[in-house]
Amino acid sequence: MRYIPTTEEQKKEMLKEIGVSSFEDLIESIPQNLRLKDKLNIPEAISESELEDKIYRLAKKNADFNSMKPLIGAGSYRHFIPEAVKFLLQREEFWTCYTPYQPELSQGTLQSIFEYQSYISRLTKMEVIIPSIYDGASAAAEAALMSLRLTHKNKIIVSNLLHPHYRETIKTYLAPHETEIIDLPYKNGLVDMEKLKILIDEDVASIIIQSPNFFGGIEDMAKISEIVHSKSVLLINVIVESMSLGILKAPGDIGADIVAGNAQSFGMDLNYGGPYNAYLGTRKQYIRQLPGRIVGETVDVDGKRVFVMTLRAREQDIRREKATSNICTNHNLNVLAANIFLSLMGTEGLYQISLLNAKSAHYLENLLLKSGKFEKVFNYPFYNEFLLKSKEDISTVNKKLLENNFIPPLKICEFYQADNLKNVLLFAVTETLSRDNLNNAAKILSE
Amino acid sequence: MKLIFEKSVKGRDGYSLPQDLFDDIKIEECLPEYVISKNKKILSEVSEVDVVRHFTKLSKLNYGLDDGFYPLGSCTMKYNPKINEKLASLSNFIYAHPLAPENTVQGCLEVAYDLNKLLCEITGMDEYTMAPAAGAHGELTGILIMRKYFVDRGNIRHKMLIPDSAHGTNPASAAMGGFQVVEVKSNEKGTINLKELVELMDEDTVGLMLTNPNTVGLYDEGIEEIEKIVHDKGGLLYYDGANLNASLGIIRPGDAGFDIVHLNLHKTFSTPHGGGGPGAGVIGVKKDLIPYLPTPNVAFNSDQKKYYLLDAGEKSIGMVRAFWANFSVLVKTYAWILSMGPDGLYNASKTSIINANYVLAKLKKYYKPAYDRYCGHECTVTGREYKKYGVKTLDIAKRIMDYGMHPPTIYFPHFEPYAEETIMVEPTESESKEMLDKFIDIMIKISDEAKTNPELLTTAPHITPIRRTNDALAVKRAILTYDDELKLKDELNYKNENIEF
Repeated sequence: MRYIPTTEEQKKEMLKEIGVSSFEDLIESIPQNLRLKDKLNIPEAISESELEDKIYRLAKKNADFNSMKPLIGAGSYRHFIPEAVKFLLQREEFWTCYTPYQPELSQGTLQSIFEYQSYISRLTKMEVIIPSIYDGASAAAEAALMSLRLTHKNKIIVSNLLHPHYRETIKTYLAPHETEIIDLPYKNGLVDMEKLKILIDEDVASIIIQSPNFFGGIEDMAKISEIVHSKSVLLINVIVESMSLGILKAPGDIGADIVAGNAQSFGMDLNYGGPYNAYLGTRKQYIRQLPGRIVGETVDVDGKRVFVMTLRAREQDIRREKATSNICTNHNLNVLAANIFLSLMGTEGLYQISLLNAKSAHYLENLLLKSGKFEKVFNYPFYNEFLLKSKEDISTVNKKLLENNFIPPLKICEFYQADNLKNVLLFAVTETLSRDNLNNAAKILSE
Repeated sequence: MKLIFEKSVKGRDGYSLPQDLFDDIKIEECLPEYVISKNKKILSEVSEVDVVRHFTKLSKLNYGLDDGFYPLGSCTMKYNPKINEKLASLSNFIYAHPLAPENTVQGCLEVAYDLNKLLCEITGMDEYTMAPAAGAHGELTGILIMRKYFVDRGNIRHKMLIPDSAHGTNPASAAMGGFQVVEVKSNEKGTINLKELVELMDEDTVGLMLTNPNTVGLYDEGIEEIEKIVHDKGGLLYYDGANLNASLGIIRPGDAGFDIVHLNLHKTFSTPHGGGGPGAGVIGVKKDLIPYLPTPNVAFNSDQKKYYLLDAGEKSIGMVRAFWANFSVLVKTYAWILSMGPDGLYNASKTSIINANYVLAKLKKYYKPAYDRYCGHECTVTGREYKKYGVKTLDIAKRIMDYGMHPPTIYFPHFEPYAEETIMVEPTESESKEMLDKFIDIMIKISDEAKTNPELLTTAPHITPIRRTNDALAVKRAILTYDDELKLKDELNYKNENIEF
């Protein structure tokens, strides 16, 4: 077997050195009657070339996604990834190493994480960044748990324009704590401020708001913050499309106490749902209640600036059941992807791409409205996703798009059942769609 | 080494923009003023060349598995086959949107469905969920399934039994699942103390989380009795699959009576660790627990010959993440199993067990084993003999680095009186006899150095890119971003010549 270097002859030699006559002697503590009598009933090994053929065939059963343009986002966005990101990521020193417990042999990983924390801190204006939770949904759930620990309360309010999968995940994570979860309704595609004023009281630990929200709408976070902070309640700002941070106000500047952000847009492929990555941000005063790993700067015995995992007294391998979270292996390679991506983009690149996303989305919305085949559902400010009601049946619309090499937009009725959301599509536009692509989509939909 | 921020030069760029920036669209006409940031967010300004050199240089400060021996106990640092990376990055996979219509993602769904069947056969379970993103995420998912199982029966239980040798994630996950953790002590043989287990296991206990072989690398010979004790009180038996690499084709947790299993695909199943993930912590269950699996799961409609994502129904614990799985990790796992076949899997476990026992046999004269018996795929020895020379296990580990290897796991597991100053070596099946011999020679040499020149160890490592770090200062200063560093320099009235950063 090409992945197992020790030969049969060597194994015999080694067994002799161990002082046993057979391999069986080494596993004597496994009860005989529990051992497998026959070999596993799985297909016999295939060669590398046969494997390649097999997986190619399977991949071909998918649509030819390489030649398709997505008009769907809803928590997973196809942005362009410069080749340098993928090229650097595959260096074995990053790819095949373990969690950086030994800083002397892991400065590459550690410094990269520190740089990423610095970038996200500037983008979100949060003082402390936990670089790696599994994904946006689990990060939102960890943020909710953190708010319970910080406030010693057991009630939270969740905007129902938070991504439905994120809401479901929060519910799952909070189930054992019997937390009261209150649904905050929307009005005109944005959080219902009047309802918020009514629902909020001193018993509430936190309120979780996504902006831009699931419908694409940009919430007035400063106003929400004013209402939330009139009581001693924490404001958790969830960001699902982090590319929006390039042009939109930073959560830390408009009242967020905790930020939970899906970083997939920064250099990560769609990958049929994962792995992605998410960050958590907060103020320094809340540091002790943060879940997960963080990297800090210090010096080595020679006085050299170095990086280490720090503030570890919160973590499971030290605190066991008293830890702030069970998180151990996370999504560090995705952190590296995001760090390289942001380094290439830089100040101006991120701003320009972010701006382009917003502009091209508005361009498409305008085209579709002009076609007369669609109408607005809500009149709200949006970033790169928007809802439109189709006059034609949306299944027919999506079929046409699919036939013309577009991954169709999301039928919002899959997640929301309100009457005015029937036959409504959630479109997403990124910089990967050119003006020609958008004109083409609009043309197909006007016919 | 300089930070990317310190390489930044105003006006330099590393990006390329499409020609058409939609200049005809005015952003101020699209969005109200109050949502737009007044200033650009300052990141860095570097060219693509700078970025490539920066990260290449950073990579050289790391030590990876492809560099050499990486015997981290409990981590199963085995070789990551290169073909699997290529297959996982086929464009039809990486550009597949998780909410794309099901008929466009039949290939992805078939991979997941087939893999589910293979994992069931390998572990003797009835159904898997691919949702959990990592081992601890799998533990939490499994614990929530256990909780729901009892809630559904109107049988509310409050305690979870966890051995003292367990990974820290076990008690942390149990606590997140709302359970009170009760520790079960190990006996003098390093395995579960059955007498204590009988006393602790009651009808207020949901079950026992067991790693087998355990974290000391020992198979629990009492597994049949353990199973009976837990099940007799109506409890469930949870298998932490961190150490499954000792069992492939030898024993299946499902046959040993485990009700619920988590597998670390990034350990036993060869997918890379990536410096701390991403991996996948899939969960397998027996028939009775299938209704509680997270939603959605992959199913097959045999009439239409179509795969689809099935809503798991009302008994499901719900979602544990967005979308449904770390798909690219599943492709690599699937490819590995197909490459190994039944004989290859057995050979992997057999070789890893022989390798670990070989290291144990050769080292035990120099490093006292925590328990003097044959081990599974990893062995635990201790550095306690060297305390009298002023040398700690930490010093031994750091000295290993000077010989160009990654040290084993140290100080874990830890419980008195057997497992202290522990050194846990897991060589995996990927290492040749020559490599093991080299490691053994180094360890013997270090044991000699400990006696004759302890300072060599206490000041190690000497030739690594950096040397021992001041961890207390990291906590005290809490410099967690570049801006923190700038602020501190400012506060200290920093001048280049008087403080070294």
